Amino acid sequence: MRLWVTGLGLVTPLGIGVEATWGRLVRGDRAIRPITLFDVGGQRVGVAGEVDGVEVSAPGWSRTSSMAATAAEEAMRAAGIDVARARVGLVVGGTTGGMFETEQLLGRLHAEPECREVLVAMLSHPLTSTGDRLDERLGPFARVRTLSSACSSGANALVVAAGWLLAGDLDAVVAGGSDGLCRLTLSGFNALGALDPEPCRPFDRRRRGTSLGEGAGFLVLERAESARARGVVPIAELAGWALGSEAHHITNPAPDGVVVASLIQRAVARAGLSPRDIDYVNAHGTGTPLNEPMEASALARALGAELARIPVSSSKAQLGHSLGAAGAIEAAITALVVSRRTLVPTAGLDEPDPALGLLHVPHVGRPVSRVRAALSNAFGFGGMDTVLVFADPDRETEPQRTPTAAPLVVTGAAVFGTGGLLGTEECGALVDRPSDPDAPVDPDVHLDAMRARRLDRAARLGAVAVERALADSGGTDATTGLILGSAFGNVDGSAAYMHRIFDKGARSASPAEFPNLVPSSPVGHVSIYLGLRGSAFATEDLATSGESAFMQALQLVATGEASRVVAGAVEPKSDIVDRVLAALFAPAAPQEGLARSDVAAAIVVETETEARRRGARVMARVRQALEWRGGGARRTELSSPREGRAEVILARADVGAEAVLAGTPWGACPRLVCAQAIGESDGLGAVAIAVAVGRIASGRTDQALVLGLARGGGYAFVLGRE
Amino acid sequence: MDCAKNGIVSMSPAQLRGELKRLIVTELNLKGRDPSSIEDDEPLFGTGLGLDSLDALQLAMSIEEQLHVRIPEGDEARAIFQSVSTIADYVARVQAG
Repeated sequence: MRLWVTGLGLVTPLGIGVEATWGRLVRGDRAIRPITLFDVGGQRVGVAGEVDGVEVSAPGWSRTSSMAATAAEEAMRAAGIDVARARVGLVVGGTTGGMFETEQLLGRLHAEPECREVLVAMLSHPLTSTGDRLDERLGPFARVRTLSSACSSGANALVVAAGWLLAGDLDAVVAGGSDGLCRLTLSGFNALGALDPEPCRPFDRRRRGTSLGEGAGFLVLERAESARARGVVPIAELAGWALGSEAHHITNPAPDGVVVASLIQRAVARAGLSPRDIDYVNAHGTGTPLNEPMEASALARALGAELARIPVSSSKAQLGHSLGAAGAIEAAITALVVSRRTLVPTAGLDEPDPALGLLHVPHVGRPVSRVRAALSNAFGFGGMDTVLVFADPDRETEPQRTPTAAPLVVTGAAVFGTGGLLGTEECGALVDRPSDPDAPVDPDVHLDAMRARRLDRAARLGAVAVERALADSGGTDATTGLILGSAFGNVDGSAAYMHRIFDKGARSASPAEFPNLVPSSPVGHVSIYLGLRGSAFATEDLATSGESAFMQALQLVATGEASRVVAGAVEPKSDIVDRVLAALFAPAAPQEGLARSDVAAAIVVETETEARRRGARVMARVRQALEWRGGGARRTELSSPREGRAEVILARADVGAEAVLAGTPWGACPRLVCAQAIGESDGLGAVAIAVAVGRIASGRTDQALVLGLARGGGYAFVLGRE
Repeated sequence: MDCAKNGIVSMSPAQLRGELKRLIVTELNLKGRDPSSIEDDEPLFGTGLGLDSLDALQLAMSIEEQLHVRIPEGDEARAIFQSVSTIADYVARVQAG
């Protein structure tokens, strides 16, 4: 089965639209210049690639969402897909969301901590808001996923989309990334000393760091058969991909490039190709002293002698590094290089670093006789790396696709919260005895203090739960992946970080604190702490973030992307979220609502074959997993319970659950609600799944339905002993 | 020492080294490590205390904020960050200058 790119959309500092960007890209134009979007006073470096002419059309929209809508609309129009006629999914990668707009609110909140007007607006731009805005304007989409893996987010959006298409239940997927410039990222990269005072100089011996950028890139992916049936001409084939974690360091790449090399080899093999077929590499090429030697060494290790004839370039010298968007923008550029048989350059490359041993495309692009296949690399903070392979759609070799029929099982689960640290079977008893909502949750007694010293509270909670779930599942191995959900990311950390800058100036930005503000930071820290080198990223879906992470883990395992993945949610108690909720509900009578508490939950998913191979005990089987968007719960698709005891496990007492369950055999089953037992948290969905696994594993029930509902969409998981 | 310029009270060399050790433990979150157990000449990076480049950046930021001395970047920083003694010497030199 082949996957075609049938539409592209770009918003970049070089121009709005694919053609505006492409023309200037090939000419070698550079868009990195002094920032005008905000005051850069006191910053070491104040140049970046800024997009001109972004129209933020309506309240509730951020620059990030506006750029995303423009790019996604261009891609959908080019592909000619119609959401009314086809089942179309949407995947959005990013890191900053509406941080630029939120910073303005944080500035006001800093002056007036109790200002209700500011508080109620504070959480208007979570990472999920971009997907929501796109769903309103360009949808309705059949399924929406928001993910973050720092600077590989945009590339991972394409990996998720590919998995959805291989699984066969969608006709097309619009996938990409969008990230706007903001003070927080500029000051953070400055604090890390990672910015070149000049426009960045990838592969140049004078390189001193990267330049930031902003923008959006979206691609429409379809199965070749259905695109062909529509009479669509493909731009390129998304032929191969691979993602993995270095488990090395939260900001620095592992210098040997071994993980990246193995990803390149896997992605090329998955495409059914060999290094002989690769004619171009669009490098991650940030221009930092550490990235380029690592990337060059990985390319040499993976491509061997072939590398000598393969041109390599970095578009960041022209666009800057747009973080969560970069992987998607550069994927679109790579698809265009294949399609148009024209190489794009590394602008400004006057003095190539001879130590890198690469074949460059200096200054300007040039046409070539053929580009059979090309690589696009994207590496993120925390060592979350992704490699994509685009190929000429007319090629004759077939890609290698892993069969998806293997049954999926859960081999371990854990919950860490006010009830203490609970292993798999103990999770089954969680709903039987309410815990003290004020009970202290102390991760440090479970962690090695020195190795955990960089972990913030979210990462600490996560490390404890993930380590315990893995212990029940038969221990950690290096190929294990990690997908953790979070509703709002590190809101309190971002506020404290910005308040320091407001008080003391940009030079007081904390280099150690900054990496913890990236939404995928808990995933990076936990993968480093536990040595997990499989697929890793964070998913965001507000109060159903845990469900989205579990669903994503199932999809990765089902499509052969990972053999074993830990899924879960991490939600430390947040002072700001509490204050926002208090402000939002203040006019009403005092809430009977439950106290919000610290929660982390983790569930280990793998194929039955993998569990048997490892000799692991199967705690529960995954019979069905559904996710939907846009109203109407899909009760007709919900499978009925089999013989024996059956329970419905809910994160919280949700009135919407009745509408889904009424008239189904599950409607008459006992319902257990997790919030009453462990307190309110946005991570409760993952707790509910762990509870269902625990109740099945401990013999309390034979099967369970976990239902998580949010914003007109939802998730349903049927788990059983058999 | 120009205390008015630096806004800090003059410290003896021993006090300065003690203050730097305290900063290393608190800023780099070396839980359980007693600041006084860090030797004056113990290597901070690679071997010894085992710190890395991210720690160096954090330490430079907090030295600038707390002691009002800006640590240069690049190779010069590497020489200054060899040990508590070398940092203390540099800080004292800048404060005196």
